[in-house]
Order: sequence, then C-alpha cells, then structure tokens
Amino acid sequence: MKNIGYFLREAGKIIRYNHVSNIFSLLGTGLILFLLGLVVALWGVSSQLVGMLQQEAEISAYFSSQLEDPQDIINNIQLIDGVWNVRYVGAEEARARMENILGDESYVLDLFEKNPFEPYLEIRIHLDQIDSVLQTIKNLKGIDYVRDNREVLEQIKGVARALEILGYLVIAAVSITTLVIISHMIRQGIFHNRDQIKTLRLLGAPDSFIGFPFVLVGFLLTFGGGLLAAVLITILINRGYGQLGGTLPFIPLPSRDRLLLGLITLLLSGSAALGILGSLFGLSSINKENHG
Amino acid sequence: MIKARNVSLVYRDGTVALQNINLNLHQGGLFYVIGPSGSGKTSLMKLLMGMEFPATGFLEVMGQPIHKRETAKIRKLRRDIGPVFQEFKLILGRTAIENVIMGMRFLDIPLQKARESAKNALVRVGLEHKAFTLVDKLSYGEAQRVAIARAVARKPALILADEPTGNLDHDNAVKILKLLESFKDKSTTVMITTHATHLIDECRSATLIHVKKGEISIERGGEQI
Repeated sequence: MKNIGYFLREAGKIIRYNHVSNIFSLLGTGLILFLLGLVVALWGVSSQLVGMLQQEAEISAYFSSQLEDPQDIINNIQLIDGVWNVRYVGAEEARARMENILGDESYVLDLFEKNPFEPYLEIRIHLDQIDSVLQTIKNLKGIDYVRDNREVLEQIKGVARALEILGYLVIAAVSITTLVIISHMIRQGIFHNRDQIKTLRLLGAPDSFIGFPFVLVGFLLTFGGGLLAAVLITILINRGYGQLGGTLPFIPLPSRDRLLLGLITLLLSGSAALGILGSLFGLSSINKENHG
Repeated sequence: MIKARNVSLVYRDGTVALQNINLNLHQGGLFYVIGPSGSGKTSLMKLLMGMEFPATGFLEVMGQPIHKRETAKIRKLRRDIGPVFQEFKLILGRTAIENVIMGMRFLDIPLQKARESAKNALVRVGLEHKAFTLVDKLSYGEAQRVAIARAVARKPALILADEPTGNLDHDNAVKILKLLESFKDKSTTVMITTHATHLIDECRSATLIHVKKGEISIERGGEQI
C-alpha cells in the first residue's frame, strides 16, 4: 500500500510516454467492447422473446359447429398431460380480438354481413410436449382442426440460437483482440523502460513490484475502454427502447434498467479482467529475457 | 560473507573471464579488487551480484549459493547488497532523492523512514543541495555520488563498487574512495574494484585482491596470503 502513489505515477508515465498509441488502443478497446455489448444486448432481448413466447405457447382447437356444448371436450383436454389451461373463446370475443389487432383498419370486418369468426378453444401448453399434446387433441372426437404456432416459435428459437453462437464468437473475438492489444502495449512499455527494469532487478526488486505499474496500465486502458463502451451502449439502448417502444410495442423487451445494469456490469468487469490478463501476458515477456 | 571454491567464469562466446578462484572473505572488511583493464575485476563483481553464474566450482555470498537455479533467492540477496555500477544505472527523468528512495521502495522500510535515510545518504555524499535535481542534469561526479547514496541508504551488508574512480581526476577519485571506505564497519563489507592502484597505496588496512588474466592472489598489509 505504501507504494500505491508510486505505482500510479509510474503507470501515468508509461501511458504518457506512448500516449497516442495508448489513446488509440483505449478507443479501439472501447469500440470492440461496445460491439460485445451490442451483441449481448441482442442476445438478451431475443432470449427474453423466446422465453416469453415459450411461456405463452398456445394452440387453437376448432370444434365441430354441430357441437352445442364444448364443455366435455374442454374437460377432456384439461386432462391431457402437457396442457395447463384451456379457455373457451366465443365468436364475438374472437372478433373483438381481431378488431383490437387491426386497430384503425378494423372497419374491414364491417364488410362481412355475419361475424366471420368461429368459437374455438385457446389451449396453453408446455412447449416441450407440443407433439404429444397436438396428436392427442387432434384425435379427440368433435375436434375439426388444430392450429399451432410451432413454426414461428422454431424460427424465433433459431434466431436466438444464432445470436447466442454469434455472442460466443464475439466474446472470443473481443477477448483475443483486447488481450493482443493490451499485451502489445505492455510489451512496448517494457521495451521503453527496459533500463529501469534492469536496474530495479539489480537492486533486488521483486517482479511484482516491477510489474505492478504495467498491470495498472493494462487495467486503466481497458477499463477506460469499458467505460466508453458502457456510455455508448447506455445511449444506444435508451434510444433503442424509445424507438421500439413506440413503433413495435408488441415485442416483449426485457426491463431496460435490468438490461443496462447487466451490460454495464459485464463491460466493466470484463474490461477490467481482460486488462489485467493482457498485462500479465505482456509481462511474461520480461521473464523470457535474462534474469539479470 | 563470501566463499568461493575453484570458481571459473566462462562467457557464452567461450571467453574464460575467471578461473579457479578461491576466496574466503569475512564480514566487515575493506577489499580492493585491483588489476589492469580486462583482467576480470568486473566479472568477479558480476558473479558476486548474481549477474553471471560460475561455470565450475561453488560460490556463496552471505550464505546464498550463486547458481542459475537460485534466481529468485539471488534477487532477495541483492537487497542486502549496495551496488555502485560503473555506468551508475541511475533512473533518468527522476530526481536524485527519488533515485535513492527507489532502492528502498520494495524493502520492508516505511516510506517516511526511507525518505529520511535517502536524505541522510545524500548529506553523507555531499549532495543534499541537489536532492531535488533531475539526475540527467547532474555532472559525472555528482551522478556517481547519487549512485553511492542509493547503495548505502538502505544499509546493506555488502557494498560493491565497480570502478568508482573511472573517469574522475586524481583528487575527486581519492575523495570517492575515501567516501566509500568510510562506510566500512563491523556489519558492512566494502569491496571496490579499480585499475588505479596508485590511488590506494595509502590504504594499508585494506585487503587487496589482485586479478590478473582471470586468476587472483590476495595481499594484506603488504604480505601475500
């Protein structure tokens, strides 16, 4: 602790010595981390979307028009394993829902003389049991037609999976790039300070004492980049939520505060860890030189 | 303090710098390592500092064997040595006092005490008025005295000064030698290399280690040992 002021001064000197390269590496790291934040944000949103859709997975079962009381069918469906709720939707409610969806365009429904909608059963199911549930319902007496939204769900799940893979790839790319940038900057710093390092070794200074200012430099550069990325991602998400909330209100976005908190924590802690790790990689080059 | 048995030093290019050195030096003495340029004086200093390792034989400094496998322990050993290098090895862009304190930052000495020791050492070498001057702006002789202050401020058990009279005129060279000699006491050994034997004629209390073509002989009080 007694040397903390010295370490900070040394780190400042190392940064100032090669300040143009260091500023560019801070900006570069910041932009790379911003890219990481962006992909992780998209990943988070898509996961939320899939999660919500999975929770709300439902199928619609249409029954024969001759059937006067569907209660027997409702009772039978409720007994099926994988079904957690069955609700009767009358023709009028079905029309009202469509009016709601169409909004200003709902006048087209007035062109029909009679209500074009039929009553149906809205069945909430566990998505992982969709195949068996569908098969059982289709085989029930009185059921004419079953409609499911499995294709849509599968497509969204595919997009989420692709984003997840892209996320992992971006995390790997960001980590490798940041490590290379920082370890290179540290090696440059070591090269510029090689005489001082050699003298300190001859005086008996331990490697931890010699290396700490360099670790601090790596930490400060990437943490600075992390802060920059956090600011950019905060601006982008605030604007994005404002835009999406207005134009695409039906997309179930995760809570903005929670998403931002998660992203900022990830960017700051990730950048700090990468900075320290990159510095340690860079410092390993000291040990390759003679121990003089 | 220093034990050497049949120690040889061979550089990577095959040059034999020292051969079959035998030494048994006790703590608290004053030793002059003398000999013409290229005789192996600096090589001996490098061995004692653990900057080079014996090709053959056994060398021990303050109980620490000097061996390639012992680099971490040798680093610790150096904390008990006050080196004055031929080329000083001061850290440029820092003041004199910063350079002196630098040698103590990683030791178990509180910062305030290190500052006091640094000030006292600069007073002792007559440079208190240049304490806050950048070492880049000091004269050759002043820079050398800062190097001496750095070496002695941390109160080492062994002071190793390599050619401290190098480029100095006669009067200043004698002053520097007298200064270094003054740090010798019961617990501090001082070892100085020099090719300027005429400067140490008056110093009869010193043990002279003659190095010639990589071999040594020892003389004390005018008698060969």
